[in-house]
Amino acid sequence: MPTIALDAMGGDNGVAPAVQAAARLSLDREAGILLVGDQRQIESTLRRSRYDASFLSIHHASQAVTMHDTPRVALDEKPDASILVGARLVAEGAADALVSAGNTGASILACARHFKKLPGVPRTALAAVYPTERRRGRSDDPFALMLDVGATLEADAETLIAFAYMGAAYAARISNNPRPRVALLSNGGEAHKGRPAIVEAHRRLAEADNIEFIGNVEGVDLPRGRADVVVTDGFTGNVVLKMLEGISETVVDVARYAYRSKLAWRLGLLMLRGGITQLKQLTDWQQYGGAPILGFDHLFIKAHGRSNARAIGNAIKVAHKAAKSDLCTEIAERLAAARGPA
Amino acid sequence: MTDRPHIFRWDLDKTYLATEFDSIGDLIRTALQRPADKANVPGSAELLQALRADSGGRAQVFFISGSPRQMRGVLAEKLALDGIHFDGFILKDNLGNLLRGRFRAIKEQIGYKLPALLDARGRARPEARETLFGDDAERDAFVYSLYADLLAERVPPDVLEQVLDLAGVYPDQRAAIYSALDRLEPCDPVQRIIIHLDRKSPPIRFDAYGPRVVPVYNYFQAALVLYEDGRLRAETIGRIGTALHAAYGYALDMLVRSFQDVLRRGGISYDAARRLGEQAVKRGVDAQVVALFAREADDRSITPAREREQGVPDYPSLLRREQQRHRIEKARRRKRRRWL
Repeated sequence: MPTIALDAMGGDNGVAPAVQAAARLSLDREAGILLVGDQRQIESTLRRSRYDASFLSIHHASQAVTMHDTPRVALDEKPDASILVGARLVAEGAADALVSAGNTGASILACARHFKKLPGVPRTALAAVYPTERRRGRSDDPFALMLDVGATLEADAETLIAFAYMGAAYAARISNNPRPRVALLSNGGEAHKGRPAIVEAHRRLAEADNIEFIGNVEGVDLPRGRADVVVTDGFTGNVVLKMLEGISETVVDVARYAYRSKLAWRLGLLMLRGGITQLKQLTDWQQYGGAPILGFDHLFIKAHGRSNARAIGNAIKVAHKAAKSDLCTEIAERLAAARGPA
Repeated sequence: MTDRPHIFRWDLDKTYLATEFDSIGDLIRTALQRPADKANVPGSAELLQALRADSGGRAQVFFISGSPRQMRGVLAEKLALDGIHFDGFILKDNLGNLLRGRFRAIKEQIGYKLPALLDARGRARPEARETLFGDDAERDAFVYSLYADLLAERVPPDVLEQVLDLAGVYPDQRAAIYSALDRLEPCDPVQRIIIHLDRKSPPIRFDAYGPRVVPVYNYFQAALVLYEDGRLRAETIGRIGTALHAAYGYALDMLVRSFQDVLRRGGISYDAARRLGEQAVKRGVDAQVVALFAREADDRSITPAREREQGVPDYPSLLRREQQRHRIEKARRRKRRRWL
């Protein structure tokens, strides 16, 4: 049974969401959860919660990195920070994956200090799922995966190719999609479009026979879901992801405005209520379960800083699924296959 | 281990037996079950056997249950199948209550358990100490604590009267309580009250009862508490852990986490835990396994709970709170309930 280390001190909303999520999931009796953070603060919430002691434990960490801390400085000055301790525990084998809603930079840096990069990974990638029109995989998943969305701002061809294989491995194991369609995000569908790194990555991926590479996709193809895995550099990926989130929030705001404006529109919206609810659920980031950092020999899931107990619970579930399906081994094998026989 | 006799009083449903009675379907199923089909709460039978074995013949085991008297044969047969020898078995006269139109008495526990416990104490040897086992589905922590404080004359008569009023205890039950109290010499025999968290109630709910009441998530935790109390030997803890692993699927890491939890909450002291580890190694338990348990306290920098004073709870307020919680939970369950 996998054990998931959860940084209880990360997140904008204090310790409570993480502890509540862990307590709730312990009742499912499917994974062990190791809460890392200030014992007294954790216990104060835990004692008020329904939980199962056989599936929950605490590792005391006396320090915490805040959202306002500078990652490198904070980790140097706070050696007993919960995120560092959590990463160390995973590296030592006390847990199989790490989840945190804390400072993204500090989290990635903490992982980099304790985890090793897999062979063939020049840079790690932060991946995120987003809803699309098209369904995919055995579980009819509406979500496509995009990477990188912020870990590596500039990516060369080598890095983009590694991202492609890592993304394919994630889609295969987590979305039950054995042959995910992989694409590069560019400013045109043709092979010669895009920055030199994208053109070079396109050429090499097109020649590879161990990946379902479908070429380039443009921004317009993203919500349509042409590709199951979209590969880009961290800068572009982050801008695109935030834009998608912004559009979804704007649609809801427009609907709210329409609801208040005219009776006829209100009636129309009431008739569409079921569909709108489904759309809201689909675009609700709290149910995505966080963004995985791919490329390390251990798994880290970054939950949103504003996460409530439900969102953190979903992040733990993704970590559990990834640990159970041995995602890191799958990534390592695909990367080894991409490099060919030594 | 002391030479004094010791009495273990056990509730049955959800404490010893893993009974479900959240719906009418559950009740019917439970009533029709054969003895061999009745499931134990994991480790309950093993713990009870161990308590007897480790007492050197000085232990007595009594059951007190809200199950109807008509179930006696089935329940006695189940206990015999488990190899449990008991010294007394009190069941509720639910049919009598029904025929007399005393519907409140069918569900109410205080008016039934309190006089029964006091009466049973009257037959115990004066020097005998007691450990009581209950669960969080009913008001076991409340009734057992009240019983302990009544025996020690820590509850003023007006407070008792208030509690009995709030609980709606019938006049004949009140008379039985007062008569038993009149017969008893003041004593303070209740050493520990162990509450099995069948419903996974938040532990904070039991804080008001003081450190005498220890809520446990499983009987491995109970065994650790009983080791602290001097009721079990070190090697028995290992045997109970092994039984939970072999018969009920408790993996080693589940037992390790359970240990950390009960240590954090103060159910076992740090010193007792260390002593247990040393004795376990001496008795041939794999040192690596012992190290796993030690790591839960030391490497994880866990601070055990501070020692708390055992005071007298404010019983009327506690009962009001319990009743309110019961109403809320009942309303929630009614929402979820499915017929059969």
